[in-house]
Amino acid sequence: MLYAVFVIGGVGFVAALVLGVAAVTFAVRPDPREVEILDLLPGANCGACGYAGCAAFAHALVEDPDTPMACTAVDADTVQRISLLLGREIEVAGPMVASVRCMGSRDRAGFRFSYLGPRDCRAAQLVAGGAKACVYGCLGLGTCEEVCPFDAIHVGVDGLPRVVVDRCTGCGTCVDACPRGIIRLVPRDSVVEIRCVSSDSPRVMKGTCDVGCIKCMLCVGVCPFDAIDVSSDGMPPVIDQGRCHGCSLCVDVCPRGVIDLYMVPRKVSIVEDRCIGCSICEQVCPFDAISGEPRRPYVVDLDRCRGCGLCVEKCPKDAIVRVGDA
Amino acid sequence: MLSFRGGIHPPGMKDLVNGRAIESMPLVPLYRVLLQQHIGAPARPVVKAGDVVRKGQVLSEPQGFVSASVHAPTSGKVRGVEECIHPVTGLASPCVVIEADGEDTWVEGLPSELDPFSMEGSELVSMVRSSGIVGMGGATFPTHVKLSPPKDKPIDAFIINGVECEPYLAADHRLMLEEPLRVISGARVVMRILGLSDAVMAIEANKPDAVDVMRREVPGSIRVEVLGVKYPQGAEKQLIKAVLGREVPSGGLPMDVGALVHNAGTCAAIWDACSSGIPLIERVTSVTGSGIREPKNIRVRIGTPLRDVIEFCGGVEEDAVKVIFGGPMMGIAQYSMDVSVTKGTSGVLVLGSRDVDRSSYTSCISCGRCVDACPMGLLPNVLSKLGERSMWEEALSFNLMDCIECGSCAYVCPARRPIVHFIKHMKALSREASAKKRQAV
Repeated sequence: MLYAVFVIGGVGFVAALVLGVAAVTFAVRPDPREVEILDLLPGANCGACGYAGCAAFAHALVEDPDTPMACTAVDADTVQRISLLLGREIEVAGPMVASVRCMGSRDRAGFRFSYLGPRDCRAAQLVAGGAKACVYGCLGLGTCEEVCPFDAIHVGVDGLPRVVVDRCTGCGTCVDACPRGIIRLVPRDSVVEIRCVSSDSPRVMKGTCDVGCIKCMLCVGVCPFDAIDVSSDGMPPVIDQGRCHGCSLCVDVCPRGVIDLYMVPRKVSIVEDRCIGCSICEQVCPFDAISGEPRRPYVVDLDRCRGCGLCVEKCPKDAIVRVGDA
Repeated sequence: MLSFRGGIHPPGMKDLVNGRAIESMPLVPLYRVLLQQHIGAPARPVVKAGDVVRKGQVLSEPQGFVSASVHAPTSGKVRGVEECIHPVTGLASPCVVIEADGEDTWVEGLPSELDPFSMEGSELVSMVRSSGIVGMGGATFPTHVKLSPPKDKPIDAFIINGVECEPYLAADHRLMLEEPLRVISGARVVMRILGLSDAVMAIEANKPDAVDVMRREVPGSIRVEVLGVKYPQGAEKQLIKAVLGREVPSGGLPMDVGALVHNAGTCAAIWDACSSGIPLIERVTSVTGSGIREPKNIRVRIGTPLRDVIEFCGGVEEDAVKVIFGGPMMGIAQYSMDVSVTKGTSGVLVLGSRDVDRSSYTSCISCGRCVDACPMGLLPNVLSKLGERSMWEEALSFNLMDCIECGSCAYVCPARRPIVHFIKHMKALSREASAKKRQAV
């Protein structure tokens, strides 16, 4: 008995000694900054940065000074702290958010047949191209919800996914997962979006969906910024968010109500003290909402102003502010 | 009796039609001939709206080697090349729409008198190719490709597939009974092309009358082999295993083990093409199931609308809820009556509500019945669980790509899990990923 205790104890002691020495001698010491950065990163391992998870990205940030801030899920404050840790300025792209471009909910868009298979849009797409009558519309089985690492997109009772803007980090995982390419990333400050990706002709569309784009081109005609492209040949209607100023004229003219307003654009007012009456704002305003006499403060007609903000950009004296801003 | 490992024993349900002689379906006013009725590159149409075509005239040119042309099923006027619903993909697909003139006149030179047994092998292969023949068991792989094996993979065994293991279907059965010589002569043409001195005709034991007829008619060079009744006995790899004892390697083709399999219907079409130049413009198909008023075996022109086929068979019963092209195991459910018969339509199955289970599936209980049933020796339980989570990369290491999608696993699953659907889903994800990778390179 005693013999056994000594043998086992002895083996254990020798093994512990070897392991203890090895742990000290061969220890891998990561850059402490890497550990700290990893703590600051979201830890969702969504892959939006292009690296194999948050740890790999933290490693790349520390090792390679050219690595841009590819993580979409960190806020400005965290970026600040990471750049302090690294001792260099890191570039950040504008924050993006996922946008679901389909309004064909269950009561608005029909189905060709009842689908009983796996609850995955990609699997459903394999059966005769999906059960929905519109071959472009959302299948509503929630693959986007399933893959979202941030719990930021949910399929509602109407069968359409909604993005929780506060949680969405613009990582684009849902964009890749959607078999119909309905989701895209748009800048976080986007104001309007055409919520339909169908390139079906109006004739087909009328039979499949109550709200889908019928290519009437009214929005294209009314847009002062040439930001909407509704081509008839097989391409989905789309708003160029880089050009869109959010005047929302298109929202008003759309007979199908398929152009969605994310937020009401804020109108502008002119700070009298700063205005020198140069009339630039009057010239750029697409809505004739600004009037006045040269060299005297101009005024904004709030009934006509649609909050596009062109005048705010052009004013040489920063005399035009959004209503509500100090 | 010869067979293979795994498989299932679903009710045969063949009594509905296997006693009924083949009836030729009369002409209908309109035919929709799909251009893509084969696996491979789509064919390019060579007719346009307003053209007058005759029975047997070429409507499309194959693009590339793995492709097949289609021919006019009757004489008439081309209404145009339009978009029709494809019964396999369910998507809009180009098709030639022909308004029949009712004359049914042959194109010039057809049918002609040919002697295939004095022709060269290459000549016969080009006859098969220009006749647009594809595998008529349902897979629709262009037949001339299978008849042109690469030099390093010589074929030494040829099996004529008269198994017809799908429940309900009896089209091949009736064909072997009523026109055994067409099947046998076609098989002899194949043997001539490949320079083979013998062949095996494989028939399941549930068709004793067909076995008798064939035993009486075959020449000494063809042996009739009776196989055990089991699904999927007619699947190419299972058939080769049962008859020859050879196993097609993972990811391989039958030619890797020197074997070639042709369906009985395909052999009959090969005979028509090589003995009289008649292209593949009609086939025998079983219209059956509890939802059809008068189940029949019909000889139907390719491109005949489903509506007309149903009407010819007395229409549907009140409780008909599902129409399937092919058999119940591997056939494709249709959502529209606007589809048309294709070269691969081995059956039109109309099921009444009592034969259709519309309940949803539940979790895998790891009972292992699917493992016993899988004729490929895979682990469908593991694959289905991976499929539920779209984990295709892991599934590849469980030989995902070797699944033949026979549906035996889903048939025995007590949790009613759509296992084949999960597997198809992962195969699609895997193909998509490798396509993306190719694009990136």
